[in-house]
Amino acid sequence: MATEGQQHPIKIYLLVWGLLFAFSAISYASDYLDDGVFRTSVILLFMILKAAAIVAVFMHMQWERYALIFAILLPPLALMVLMTLMAIEADYAWATRVEYMGEPIAPEPKPPPTHKPHH
Amino acid sequence: MTETTAPGNESIFTATARDWSSDVTTFKGVPWGKAMMWIFLVSDTFIFTCFLVSYMTVRMTVTDPWPNPSEVFALAIPNELFGLQFFESSIPVPLLLIAIMTFVLISSSGTMAMAVNMGYQRNKKGVVLLMVATALLGMTFVGMQIFEWSKLIIDEEVAAWQNPMGAAQFGSFFFMVTGFHGLHVSAGVAYLLIVAWRVGRGHYDHTNFEIVEITGLYWHFVDLVWVFIFALFYLW
Amino acid sequence: MATAEIPYQETVPLHHPKTWLGKYVFSQDHKVIAVQYGITAMAVGLVALVLSWLMRIQLAFPGLLEGFGPDEYLSAITMHGMIMVIYLLTAFLLGAFGNFCVPLMCGARDMVFPFVNMLSYWVYLISVILLLVVYPLMLFTDVAPTGAGWTLYPPQTITAGTPGADWGIVLMLASLAIFIVAFTMGGLNYITTILQARTRGMTLMRMPLTVWGIFIATFLGLIAFPALFVSAVMMLLDRLIGTSFFMPAIVSLGQKLEYSGGQPLLFQHLFWFFGHPEVYIVALPAFGVVSDLISVHARKNIFGYRMMVWAIVAIGILSLIVWAHHMYVAGMHPYFGFFFATTTLIIAVPTAIKVYNWTLTLWRANIKLTVPMLFALSFVLTFIMGGITGLFLGNVIIDIPLSDTYFVVAHFHMVMGVSPILAIFGGIYHWYPKLTGRMLNDTVGKIHFYFTFIGTYVIYFPMHYLGFVGVPRRYYETALGGTFPDFYPPSAHYLNIFITIAALVVGIAQLLFIYNLVHSYFKGEKASDNPWGANSLEWRTPQTPPSHGNWDERLPTVHRWAYDFGVPGHDTDHVPQDVPRKESA
Repeated sequence: MATEGQQHPIKIYLLVWGLLFAFSAISYASDYLDDGVFRTSVILLFMILKAAAIVAVFMHMQWERYALIFAILLPPLALMVLMTLMAIEADYAWATRVEYMGEPIAPEPKPPPTHKPHH
Repeated sequence: MTETTAPGNESIFTATARDWSSDVTTFKGVPWGKAMMWIFLVSDTFIFTCFLVSYMTVRMTVTDPWPNPSEVFALAIPNELFGLQFFESSIPVPLLLIAIMTFVLISSSGTMAMAVNMGYQRNKKGVVLLMVATALLGMTFVGMQIFEWSKLIIDEEVAAWQNPMGAAQFGSFFFMVTGFHGLHVSAGVAYLLIVAWRVGRGHYDHTNFEIVEITGLYWHFVDLVWVFIFALFYLW
Repeated sequence: MATAEIPYQETVPLHHPKTWLGKYVFSQDHKVIAVQYGITAMAVGLVALVLSWLMRIQLAFPGLLEGFGPDEYLSAITMHGMIMVIYLLTAFLLGAFGNFCVPLMCGARDMVFPFVNMLSYWVYLISVILLLVVYPLMLFTDVAPTGAGWTLYPPQTITAGTPGADWGIVLMLASLAIFIVAFTMGGLNYITTILQARTRGMTLMRMPLTVWGIFIATFLGLIAFPALFVSAVMMLLDRLIGTSFFMPAIVSLGQKLEYSGGQPLLFQHLFWFFGHPEVYIVALPAFGVVSDLISVHARKNIFGYRMMVWAIVAIGILSLIVWAHHMYVAGMHPYFGFFFATTTLIIAVPTAIKVYNWTLTLWRANIKLTVPMLFALSFVLTFIMGGITGLFLGNVIIDIPLSDTYFVVAHFHMVMGVSPILAIFGGIYHWYPKLTGRMLNDTVGKIHFYFTFIGTYVIYFPMHYLGFVGVPRRYYETALGGTFPDFYPPSAHYLNIFITIAALVVGIAQLLFIYNLVHSYFKGEKASDNPWGANSLEWRTPQTPPSHGNWDERLPTVHRWAYDFGVPGHDTDHVPQDVPRKESA
């Protein structure tokens, strides 16, 4: 058993804490952007940055030895395969539904019934 | 073979191979509980990712319209409070509640990180206070989630099996994934309080307080999952 | 050389219970938990065996069984499959062998968290009870076991007409979810023990292959079971509160159901994202056990140890990206067939390496045909047999006509039904002396072996032919004289009768094994500390059977791998792992 733990200056925690607030604010602000590739990229970029900051600093991953880092970070690659293939599959299934079942391509959602009176 | 410190000029591959080919422990200096928690978190990652991949698949497959979350989760700032009028009319702000929930959960992660730091400084009082603060923030989060659910169910008539705005799966996935995450937060609150109580009782005085770090790993993971839910459910 | 790290377990005292209840029932000793897992798994396996008899009798002699109609037949199929794959094979190989072998072979006192390990067993028991409670319920209520087939494909699983679509499926899914919780608690323990609690000198590349197999299989389990858990939760929600995750708009019995827009193929993908690794969760520990048995009983070091380890790792990784080869006829994206056929056939490479290495281990070895060795050899043969038919089914164009025929049934029974069972038998015959301090009866063991080994070939070999003539699986009646028109040549009918009689005989032969286990426990010949002359650490415990804590104050120190047989310059033909190297040698 090692006796030294994960002890690091408080300053870095405060810094990351602040960064997480900033990143969250930016991703929140992306809601005011128009839909499109740019907005999607902003959402994904800041999602990954936030996740990386939490894992690296709060969960101490950046101070761990590579043996542990690889053991934790490599298995989720299998999920990337699952995600990619399921995206292809879902696209195909959607196309089948539109092509063979005559379902509409991109219908508009109905507005939320927010302003309805309470029952 | 059992050297725990590697020469500085080693490549990361050599360093990894050295640890993996050593005896006794593979993760040098990592307590059992921490190793176990990390492996559990990998397993839990697979659970949440399978949920999210299912969400992606179904959302891409349905031909019914998918509601715009930024409208669905908008919260109106009231124009009056205690009879005082502030604005001419109430102002709908998209995702206001979700933004506050996000900041609450990030704050709790911050206090948890501080608690871990206090633990390694052997500052028991600090640990207990910060862990209780974390638990309180976690409870706030769950409370706000209950509010959000009730708003969605009562005001917008969305249920797990129906959605007046379009695809029923919107409600199904929303309630299932946030519900599963909420259960994780609730379990985390219980875990935090138990550990804080035991730390206060002096249960871990003979250790290095790595239990605080292990609890912290779980708590940060819950926050981490929320990062993905926030981006993929509410913003997308 | 820096100072050696001290195994933590030497410094922490174990919790020694005083009461009988604490020692044998709520025990935290990994060996007791292994026995509990083993007995429960065998008991539930007997239920599945009886179900298979009922199905075989129905197929050969339709109408002979009163009250065993199509619904009961489908339920029997489902329960048989689920019990065998999950509640018997997974639980036995990881729960029983995992618990028994991991701490002993790694030189640990116990699992790292014995209390969690104990909980793992009790939660497993709850899941078994929840699975089987449907049979007593059947007598008093109209709850029936689910008949959806062990793959539980929606939408038919929860639509009217499938047996147990109302509550049987709920019990099944709940039981699976609880099993996964139990497995996670046990699995985290095995992995952490292997990674963090080995003894001095025990590097990963000195571990016996049994531990390697269990290690990779457990890891696969921890990352594959989540997919099953997720699909079980989603299907429970579909069933109980009417969500449409997997349920498309559907007309059932003339009525449009409330469901719409769900994706049934998603369930199949999630199920097989779990299901294919599951095949290797069962196979990898069996590979490991068989490697050790062959090496010990052939008195020769395992050929290509490192290759064997890397083959296990490679199979584990590859098994995560081959899942949709179970779905060639499901209507998925047409290009997926190419991807999944390719990855599937690549798996044949590390698997073939293992088979060649077993063969080369036997090459010019001093083979002792003990009962464990007989089972190990029969495993290799059966596995080759089942593996080669797997190559047929991995190819899309060959799979399409063979899909859902008895060829598939024969394939998976050979490769992941019978083979792991043979490895389990071999393992039990091998480790029983260490577990109980007594030998199993050799003659009874040999009779049991020949009945089981020859019997399985008699049962499953003709099934390949049935598949080629087009007999579909899961059909209630395929025989002459049934209510359906006779599609099949008379030979199929006679083979069905032949298979059924063989299945009954093989099933009854298993009673010999149970008799042997019980009788030898009380009356068996006393076993020495190391009756097979093996090298791994479990044979070096100070007591036989090992006491709680396994070792004396000091854990053993490992100086060599587990396969030093016939090393020149030593008095014995085998050199155990904790014997120091000679300076001059």
